[in-house]
Amino acid sequence: MAERITIDPVTRIEGHLKIEVEVDNGKVVNAWSSGTMFRGFEILLKGRDPRDASFVTSRFCGVCFSVHQMASAKALDMAFGARVPEGGRLLRNLMMGAEYLYDHVLHFYHLSALDYIDILAVANYKGKDPGLLAIKDKLVKLVEAGDTYPLTPRYEPDEFTINDPEVVLTLVSHYLKALEIQTKARHMGAIFGGRHPHYQSIVVGGVTQLPDAEKIARFRSLLVEVTDFIKNVYLPDVVAVGTGPLLPLAQAGIGGGHLNYLSYGGFELDDEGKEQFFKPGVIKDGKFDAVEAFDPDRVTESVTYSWYKGDKALHPYDGETEPDLEKKDAYSWVKAPRYDGKPMEVGPLARMLIMKDRTLMSLITDKGLKPGAVARHAARAIETALLADAMFEWLDQLIEAAGKPDFKIHDTEHWEVPDTAKGQGFYEAPRGALGHWLSIKGGKIENYQAVVPSTWNASPRDERNVRGQYEESLIGVPVPDTNNPINVVRVIRSFDPCLACAIHLIEPRSNRIREFVVR
Amino acid sequence: MSGEHERVPEFPGLSRRDFLKFCGYTAALLGLAESGIADVAQALAAAVKKPPVVWLEAQDCAGCSVSFISSMHPGVAEIILDTISLRYHETVMAGSGLLAEKALEDTIAEKGYVLVVEGSIPTADGRYCTVAGKEIGDTVKKAAENAAAIIAVGACATYGGIPAAGPTGAKGVAGFLGRDDVINISTCPAHVEHIVGTIVYYLLYNRAPELDSHGRPTMFFSTLIHDNCPRRGRFDRGEFMTDRNDPAQKDWCLYLFGCKGPFTFSDCPIRKWNDGTNWCVECGAGCQGCAEPAFYAGMSPLYAKTKDVAGLNVDTIGKALGAATAAGLAVHFIGQVASGRLGKGGPREGGDSA
Repeated sequence: MAERITIDPVTRIEGHLKIEVEVDNGKVVNAWSSGTMFRGFEILLKGRDPRDASFVTSRFCGVCFSVHQMASAKALDMAFGARVPEGGRLLRNLMMGAEYLYDHVLHFYHLSALDYIDILAVANYKGKDPGLLAIKDKLVKLVEAGDTYPLTPRYEPDEFTINDPEVVLTLVSHYLKALEIQTKARHMGAIFGGRHPHYQSIVVGGVTQLPDAEKIARFRSLLVEVTDFIKNVYLPDVVAVGTGPLLPLAQAGIGGGHLNYLSYGGFELDDEGKEQFFKPGVIKDGKFDAVEAFDPDRVTESVTYSWYKGDKALHPYDGETEPDLEKKDAYSWVKAPRYDGKPMEVGPLARMLIMKDRTLMSLITDKGLKPGAVARHAARAIETALLADAMFEWLDQLIEAAGKPDFKIHDTEHWEVPDTAKGQGFYEAPRGALGHWLSIKGGKIENYQAVVPSTWNASPRDERNVRGQYEESLIGVPVPDTNNPINVVRVIRSFDPCLACAIHLIEPRSNRIREFVVR
Repeated sequence: MSGEHERVPEFPGLSRRDFLKFCGYTAALLGLAESGIADVAQALAAAVKKPPVVWLEAQDCAGCSVSFISSMHPGVAEIILDTISLRYHETVMAGSGLLAEKALEDTIAEKGYVLVVEGSIPTADGRYCTVAGKEIGDTVKKAAENAAAIIAVGACATYGGIPAAGPTGAKGVAGFLGRDDVINISTCPAHVEHIVGTIVYYLLYNRAPELDSHGRPTMFFSTLIHDNCPRRGRFDRGEFMTDRNDPAQKDWCLYLFGCKGPFTFSDCPIRKWNDGTNWCVECGAGCQGCAEPAFYAGMSPLYAKTKDVAGLNVDTIGKALGAATAAGLAVHFIGQVASGRLGKGGPREGGDSA
């Protein structure tokens, strides 16, 4: 008989997430994903100076704040008619890049790694490496003192858990080193962004701070150090465990889900926004060779199982959403976006599959990795290394541009608020496809709306009762012991959930929102 | 100094050298003299066990948690593994679900922990934020009862922040609990050194640091940003930036771009952010007033020049802050306006777009 397990809170993620699964014969047979927090940012933005939006929407999420600021600024750029000059574009790219470097490293080591290693196995280390011995001593002392919070309590290690003491100790040493690296990547962001988290310098029209030689030199020196870690520690670690101890998990494609993938594209390579570093595209039903062009008009959102009024699938511009805490059968504050009626996965795996990245493809063809939890970690590490390389190029371009007499970082001529306007901004957040929309009337925000990565991934069922991607990815996941659903959290964390921003509200202004033009 | 080193006993989990380094950093954070290092060391080493800490997240964005884990001096690993016993912190802890819930319940039953709250609490309907199937407001109430000290981190947990401008009736912890002993670490996000410094202060002296009338530690929040601003001279000379592309205006006053430094109390200009890397004014964005109870609604529009910033005038700010400061501020501002620097035609505005 099926047994129902509730995991609430799912920790080591951003935000408040509840996962429920039904387990039968040691496998998940049904799953429900619920976002359990609501703030109503879109409502509080109404009537405000539109320039506030990039600052306020940064607070959608304190982990991937900058991409909200960026998508918001892009929506404002369009609404204000602002043309971001080359310096502004490059500085935005560099700040967003720094965000990826910090975010992906943090996600693997600090949010996910504890799911795959038996940290207490370090006590069995018999080697002589002084660095590893120091860490072993430290952890053994914690155990002897009887207080190993926050490393315990934890789900018990299982057959996929890495328990070779040397491997575990090495990963723990990288965990500690990664704390320093993610902080340094954040310093990079702060050099141009003012502070981290919550950059200050991205505004409509570009950025607010002229770079100087000292700041550029400091950024480059940190980029060298962080890139060294990414290429020589992070990526090798992920490949080593993914094709080593975790290969059975990887080859089984645990956590694959619907095999539909979506990317909006991000990181502009020219001032017209024609070419982007991350390419937009859509993959359906696991047909990896058939990448389709992305068409925003095919996006709908369903609220059948969300605590909002209504039950029809609507285009985001036509969203009719008001909180309804009494709604029957609803179980999430997250809505259910669909593309061509299909639930989509967004994020690093989607991006790397759509770009047919060589490294990922070779892991798939040579090592037999299937899209799933392990492949998600691999794609994330691969794209971090790709971005680091691109950042060196953008930095060189910035130095060249800054030497020109007409160097600009901001379209100051379009700083004043237009009376009536509309704008949309698409971007790729570390967690996936992100879109912001706004309309301005009387110089104030009339409507504001965001469809964010975790709304795609964490969505509940839609009006046809089709599961969201988290939910579907849990089907078939082995749970031999219902007191120890470690595979469930492995799969969920592989998406890098970010729930605070997934939950948002679209105002019931169907006719007006319909006027948005999407190209 | 070597004599002091001798007196310092070993602290569980840290080598003596690392421990002294840790104490040095925390002493520096608290602005203690060199002799204070030994005090910090002895106080921490005297603790029989690591002080338990419970960190709850309500209507938050995790930005304050992210800020917290950027601590370099002392390092975050030393804080969460060696200095405190971090019993519950959703973004950091290994355990999920029932394991996490039990860790929280056990610690509450044990009493005597430091409670840190991040995020606002919805009062319009408790169901706007639930964790472990419980309304977060109920959990905060329960955890507050047995806490030795309550620290609210960030704009949302202190005074409601951005969510307070929304539909969920979001409140800060002190307002929600109706208590006046909550330590408020404002700004959005909370500054890592403010968080760590306050926690260490409490562990060191077993009491809250001195607080201002808004519950903020005076050691971090007693100075007006405007008074310590490196661009203050520009303000006094009436040199206001209008073109962000003009290198000549690079370090001019951001007042016309909406800087709220004249209305905001925090040591940001001295401490800066991310280990002294940069801060809001240095990066040209200006201050958005996130340290103040009026943030966010009262500071909006963030990027527009306003004499009565955020709907406040110098008199109402003065009442909240005490007479001397208010007089200084009022005189200053009246002086500025009277001399035409902020008035029409007065300021020397850069470029020709003014």
